[in-house]
Amino acid sequence: MQSAAVGLPDAPDEPDSEAVVDLVLRGMWRGRPESEHRPLVDAGLAMVKGPVVLPTERAKAAAARILRVPAGSEQEERITAAYEAFLPVNRKIRDVCTAWQCRPDGSANDHSDDTYDAEVRESLEDVHEAIQPVLRRLERVLAGSGRYLTALAEALDRFDDGEPAWLASPLCDSYHTVWMRLHQELLLVLGISRAVDEALEEELVTRSRG
Amino acid sequence: MSVADREAGPLAPSGAPLAPSEAPGRVLVPYGQGRIRGLDAEELGAHGAAMDRLVALGLPVVPGLTVPAGVSASLCEPDTAEAAVVLVEQLSGRRIGDRGRPLLLRLSASAPTEIAGLPPDLACLGLTPGNADELCAVIGRAEALYEVWAATLRMTAEYALDVPGSVLDDALLDTPEPRARVEALLSLAARHGSRPVPDDPAQQLALAARALLARWDSPRARRSRRAQRLPADLPLALHVQALRIGPAGRSGYGTAVSRDPETGRLSPRGFFFRGVRRSAPPPHTGEPLDRLAGGTALLEHSLLTLERHLRAPVSVDFEVRDDEISLLAASAQLRPPLRTAVCLAADLARDGALGREEAVRRITPGQVQELLHPQLRLTGGEDLLVTGLPASPGAATGVVVLSSERALEVAADGTRVVLVAAETTPADVPGMLASVAVLTGSGGIASHAAVVARGAGKPAVCGAEGLRVDLAAGTVRFGERVVREGDPVSLDGRTGAVYAGALSVSVAGPPPELSTLLEWADGTRRLGVRVNADTAGEVDTALALGAEGVGLCRTEHQFLGERLPLIRRVLLAADPAARDAALLELERAQHEDFRALLAAVGDRPVTVRLLDAPLHEFLPAPGHAPDAAEEQRAAALREANPMLGLRGVRLALLHERLYPAQAEALFTAWADVAATGVRPRLEVMIPLVSLPEELAAAAAYVRGAADAVAARTGVEVPYRLGTMIETPRAALLAGELAEHAEFFSFGTNDLTQLTYGFSRDDVERQVLASYQERGFLTASPFARLDPHGVGALVALAAERARSVRPGIKLGVCGEHGGDPESIAFCDDLGLDYVSCSAHRVPVARMAAAHSALRQRQDEERHHESGSAR
Repeated sequence: MQSAAVGLPDAPDEPDSEAVVDLVLRGMWRGRPESEHRPLVDAGLAMVKGPVVLPTERAKAAAARILRVPAGSEQEERITAAYEAFLPVNRKIRDVCTAWQCRPDGSANDHSDDTYDAEVRESLEDVHEAIQPVLRRLERVLAGSGRYLTALAEALDRFDDGEPAWLASPLCDSYHTVWMRLHQELLLVLGISRAVDEALEEELVTRSRG
Repeated sequence: MSVADREAGPLAPSGAPLAPSEAPGRVLVPYGQGRIRGLDAEELGAHGAAMDRLVALGLPVVPGLTVPAGVSASLCEPDTAEAAVVLVEQLSGRRIGDRGRPLLLRLSASAPTEIAGLPPDLACLGLTPGNADELCAVIGRAEALYEVWAATLRMTAEYALDVPGSVLDDALLDTPEPRARVEALLSLAARHGSRPVPDDPAQQLALAARALLARWDSPRARRSRRAQRLPADLPLALHVQALRIGPAGRSGYGTAVSRDPETGRLSPRGFFFRGVRRSAPPPHTGEPLDRLAGGTALLEHSLLTLERHLRAPVSVDFEVRDDEISLLAASAQLRPPLRTAVCLAADLARDGALGREEAVRRITPGQVQELLHPQLRLTGGEDLLVTGLPASPGAATGVVVLSSERALEVAADGTRVVLVAAETTPADVPGMLASVAVLTGSGGIASHAAVVARGAGKPAVCGAEGLRVDLAAGTVRFGERVVREGDPVSLDGRTGAVYAGALSVSVAGPPPELSTLLEWADGTRRLGVRVNADTAGEVDTALALGAEGVGLCRTEHQFLGERLPLIRRVLLAADPAARDAALLELERAQHEDFRALLAAVGDRPVTVRLLDAPLHEFLPAPGHAPDAAEEQRAAALREANPMLGLRGVRLALLHERLYPAQAEALFTAWADVAATGVRPRLEVMIPLVSLPEELAAAAAYVRGAADAVAARTGVEVPYRLGTMIETPRAALLAGELAEHAEFFSFGTNDLTQLTYGFSRDDVERQVLASYQERGFLTASPFARLDPHGVGALVALAAERARSVRPGIKLGVCGEHGGDPESIAFCDDLGLDYVSCSAHRVPVARMAAAHSALRQRQDEERHHESGSAR
């Protein structure tokens, strides 16, 4: 299962497929030592822009190739099932982050209303409850995906410990940051475009409303 | 209500104490009867108390009852549950199982106050596999009913029948369709549960009550109480409500608020849904209120009645049955939208329901600031590219970049960039962080891009339809329009509008109701509010925002731009003739500036500070002087520490014609303006003084200039002469300085730098953030006046100055003049005015009013405690 899931690199010229995938899923690296990104830069897979390292188009294509599971395989079918269960929750987490940042009237949430914030926290618990069975299933068919549940739980803990940035800040491995990464991996694993993804999410959410 | 009254007699004599040992029916309190039984929110829960209030106000409510906190567990007993079913049937005039006028029950919980983390409502009690199809036929649709039912079964199975949660999770993942879910859950309960799900409504209700209370006792609910600092054993009241089923076309439920959040005006806003009520209505799917077939008159009446009663904007949940409305819940909006809060305060005060001071007290200075958010200045001739969804508030202008990579490259030298992307992936995050704003073609206000933009505090417009990015060509198309990477655009994250070109960003004017409240605030405050403004245009803006005059007019800009060569010639001139010629030209240019400024000021006070810029701002860059001799003279004038060098009065004493020329230009301009009938109250201010002798010498220049103008024009210009207090020595020698000065203006920016020995540009980046993290400082001393050090110097100077010149006018003209806490500090010291930048003027007016109200309150309290003793 291990080998099938990760899909070992089929292009021997790539220095470190794990690193390429990590960089693409994260979108950038900050504060990494040069020894880590130098091989990628030399191979044309990464570029250094000031303090950040970005993936090149080539790296994005490579990551897509490395992660993609065989089309029509049973594995693809099972991951697709988990992905379709993921999508309605994906809508919810964005609503939760939005509610944390903005009050319903669109004004910024200044976090002076404890009850409102506690309501948002409740809906975050709902999301976390809903995503756990999905991720447990995913882990059985996509090796390594268990790390997402660990990272989400870590972010939730930090958030509960009074560090609000760990819900939606783009500057740390917040709940939303980890979630975005998970979403991106699913899309690359299944070879699904953003446009198809959005349409499917809308359809699944609408269907569940009856 | 009449039904409820009829039931009250036999069921519950008023004031009867509650005890579980009583007859089953006695612990049941119909909506509206709590108060006459001596119960309040502690027993009835917030919901029960709110329903009591609605009944008392004569408003229509849904039939239902409360099982008070403390005895709510008795609803788990079959007898009590049976009595509750019978009572709700009586109250609603319907029966469960009746095909013509069907009824189901809904169980909910509430705590004494509005809290988060209550167990979800359990609806559709009374539904069975045998009667579900009939009900679906009545409603005309099936999905919603089965969905609500499945949610109730899921909770009941886990928390009352002990079916493991993971078994239920797996079943639900495998069965997305609601009807199949109900079947799966019923069979799981039969197989794994302590008993099957019963058909009898009373038994279902008893199980549901057990499930709610067990859920309230779960680790998750306990965590939630801890997070809200609520008692671990907080008791819940339970509520059993009638859920009257009817055709979807004429039945449903909805929610409404009393005021339009955009304008704040009284006008019900909300939406409703047809069909069976669900726990959490899906957002953005309801129909607007004006589609209610029975009209909104009763809803409007209910909202208005409640608003007057609660003196707050209100929100209600309502049920629609046969086109008639009855209320499910009602509450004051705890955190109404700002416009709503402002309009309500003004409305209530105009109606006499609230004093004007109380109305002013309701709106904080911070809220004033938020209402006056920066926005694009529109003149009507803008080139609108596209309108998307307003995803993250704020206005910004910058050049288009189409990738993270370009964003980082272009922004590296400080260029403001706007990242434009068709869709956003994690790869766009670094670009978003480097940009001043974000524009995307897809996604909504809850898209990843929007979440990231708000998380980073960047304005964003998302879902701009018709946006097409062509990376290869380096262009983005908006329909027919093509914009190239590098072209400027402007966007407003509050309206979703995107314009071509760089528009100016400025502060919005106050809405009319806020202007009214600010006028009342003006009537309340003692402290004056002036503006720091350098040009006639800035003065106009500030006066419109309520400034009483100009507290600081800096004259440095009069020497920059195209006049830089003139002042350079003054400073570097090889011979006196060249210098005098340049001076004369400068004087003429300044005269024009001053005349425009004074005309804009009108009869108000205006404080003009004579030249204060550090010398280096006027010198050519090394190697850029026109000839070797001038290069040499410039080199001789360069300083190691320009901010502490030849600045302000020091420069004026070295170049003795500078201040007389400025003062003559000013006085001549005053004489010109006075001829048109306005008389600005002129205050001439000498900067960066630390020796009384400096002030005396500079004062002599100004007096000389006034005499010269009087001799030339015949006009004796009235003016006051004063000084900035911006060095610690000036503050300490305030008594001596007051002998030469009729007013002081505390320049708290420099005074803070010099008191701490901080160079602002350096410490803000390196030191202050770390000090705030360590808890050394709670706020930057440049944003909030340091009351212990810098503030103590201000207090001491005020005291010493007044001892020499009791009526001396005292003001503050640093940025602190716009900070509410610093304003309160200045008010407490009895200073005469604060002066701040134009966009902070409304904030300062409100802050000064709040400070005065607080002082009054403190005095009253002091007086009361004094008389009590």
